[in-house]
Amino acid sequence: MSTISVRNLTKRYGPVLATDDLSFDVQPGKVTGFLGPNGSGKTTTLRILLGLAAPTSGTATIDGRAYRQLPDPVRRVGVALDSNTFHPGRSAAQHLRVIATATGLPHRRVDEVLGLVGLSDAAGRSVGGFSLGMRQRLSLAGALLGDPGVLIFDEPLNGLDPDGIRWIRGLLRSLAAENRTVFVSSHLLTEVSQTVDDVVVLSRGRLVAETTLSELTERTSVVRVRTTDASRLFDVLASAGIQVRLVDGSTVEGRHASAEAIGLAAAGAGLPILELSRQDEDLESLFFDLVHQNQEIAA
Amino acid sequence: MKGTLRLARAELRKLFTTKALPVSFAIAIALAIASVLINATVAGKSGSPRLGTDASTYQMLKFGAIACVVMLILGILAAGGEFRHRTIIPAVLATPHRARIFAVKVAVVAGLGAAFGAVIFGLGLGTAVLTLSAHGIHHLPPGIGSLYAGTVISSVCFAMIGVALGALTRNTIGAIVLAIAWVLFVEQVILQNIAPGVEKWLPTGAAIGLTSPPGAAHFLAPLAAGLVLTAYALVMLAVASRTTIGRDLA
Repeated sequence: MSTISVRNLTKRYGPVLATDDLSFDVQPGKVTGFLGPNGSGKTTTLRILLGLAAPTSGTATIDGRAYRQLPDPVRRVGVALDSNTFHPGRSAAQHLRVIATATGLPHRRVDEVLGLVGLSDAAGRSVGGFSLGMRQRLSLAGALLGDPGVLIFDEPLNGLDPDGIRWIRGLLRSLAAENRTVFVSSHLLTEVSQTVDDVVVLSRGRLVAETTLSELTERTSVVRVRTTDASRLFDVLASAGIQVRLVDGSTVEGRHASAEAIGLAAAGAGLPILELSRQDEDLESLFFDLVHQNQEIAA
Repeated sequence: MKGTLRLARAELRKLFTTKALPVSFAIAIALAIASVLINATVAGKSGSPRLGTDASTYQMLKFGAIACVVMLILGILAAGGEFRHRTIIPAVLATPHRARIFAVKVAVVAGLGAAFGAVIFGLGLGTAVLTLSAHGIHHLPPGIGSLYAGTVISSVCFAMIGVALGALTRNTIGAIVLAIAWVLFVEQVILQNIAPGVEKWLPTGAAIGLTSPPGAAHFLAPLAAGLVLTAYALVMLAVASRTTIGRDLA
C-alpha cells in the first residue's frame, strides 16, 4: 500500500492552474523524486499534501488520511519545506525545542537530531547567522525530530556544498533502507538521480511521468551494434518493434530497448555481433524533453 | 487538554526566546518608573497638584498607556512574526489545528498582558509609595485598586488587539506603524478635533477611561470603558481568526 496518495488533485489560483488533475502514489522503502521545473506545481502539491493549502478539487493523503486528520503528525511525517522558516533571533536548539514542546517530544531528541545533521556545535547560535546550508540542515533536523515513517523534503540539496550533498544522499538512502517513505522534490533530475528509486515528473501542473529511475534510464539508452549486415539487422529489429536507426553499412542503433533484447534478436536472425555497446544519454536531456513536450502540448 | 497545555508552553517558549520581550518589558518598566519620579519631581510646580494630594498621586500612577502600547506591540510581534519569519509553517505542521494554535496564542499573550500589567503597575506603585514615604507622606488615594485593575484589563485587551492586528496584517512593521499611528495620532488628534465625544468610545479612549482616576471627565467610567475595550478586542479577534484559520499558507 502506498503511503502518499494523490488523486485527481487540482489547485487553481485565480486564472492560474497550479496542478491539473494530478494523480500518483509514493511507496515506502524507496526514495521517490518529485521532479519538475520551477513553477510546475511541485510545491503547491506538497503544500496541499501537508494541509497548508486547500485543493480546488481532489485529494492528497498520507496513510489514507488528510494531514490535518493524522493523529500526532510529527511522529508520522517529517517535513523540510524550505530553509526560511526560522526566527532569526532564536537559536537552532531553541527552534527545535519549540516544536518538541508543542508536540510532547522529549527534548533529548533535539540534541540527537542536531548531532545527526552535524549542527551540534552551532546549537546555541542564532539562526540569523546561519548559512543557507546550515539552514537546510536545521530544516532536516526538524523533519527528523519525531523519527517519522514518512519524510517529505522540498529541494533539500539547495545551498549545500559537495560534502553536504554527499551526506544528504547517504541520509536519504539510509532512511529508505529503514523502510521509510522518502519523497524528495527537485527541479533537476541529475541532482537526485544518484539517490532516487522512483520518479514522479510534473510539467505545468500535469503528471508527465510516474516510473522507476531504471525505466527512465532505459528510455534514454541507445544500444549501438556493429554486425556484418546492418540493413538486415535494421529490418529484424524494426520488425521486433524496436526503435532503430541505420548508422552506416555495418552499424545500427536501437533506442528504448535493452542490450539483451537487441542481442537476442540478432542471434535469432543468425547475425553475428561484432560489437555491442550501450550509451546512456544525458538524463537531464530526457527530463527536459519530457517537460517540454507537455509545455508544447499546453501551448 | 494535555495538547493545549503543551501548545501554551511552546508559545511561552517562543515569546521568551527572542529579545523583543525582555527588551520591551525593560524599556516599559524604566519608562513607568521614570514617569512616576518625574511626576513626583514636578508636583506642586507650574500649577501641578502638590505632592501627597490624591490628584498628584493619581498623576504619578497614570502610566497605564505604556503597558498598553508594549502589549499591543508584543501581540503584533507574536502573531505577525509567525508570518513574517514563516515560523507558522513548522507550527501548523506540528499542530494542524489552526484554530487551536490561534486560541492558545491569544490566551498566552493575554495572560502575559495581565501579568505584565500587574507587574508594571506594582513596580510603579512601589516607586510612588517609596517616593512619598521619603517625603513623609504615608497616604494613598482610594481609587488605587480601580487604577490597578484598569491597567491590568487594558493590557490584556491591547495584547489581544495586537494579536488580531498581527494575524490580520501578517506584516509586523506595517501593523506596528498602523497601530501606533492610530493610538497616538488618529484617535488623539484627528478624531478628538473632528468628532469630539466620539473618542471615548474608541479603543484608546476606552483604555484611558480604564486607567484614569475615578471621576475623570470626558471619558467613560471604568466599567463601561472595560466593556467597550473588551468588545473591540473580541470583535477584532473574531475577524482575525475567521480570515486567518482557513487561509492558504504560502
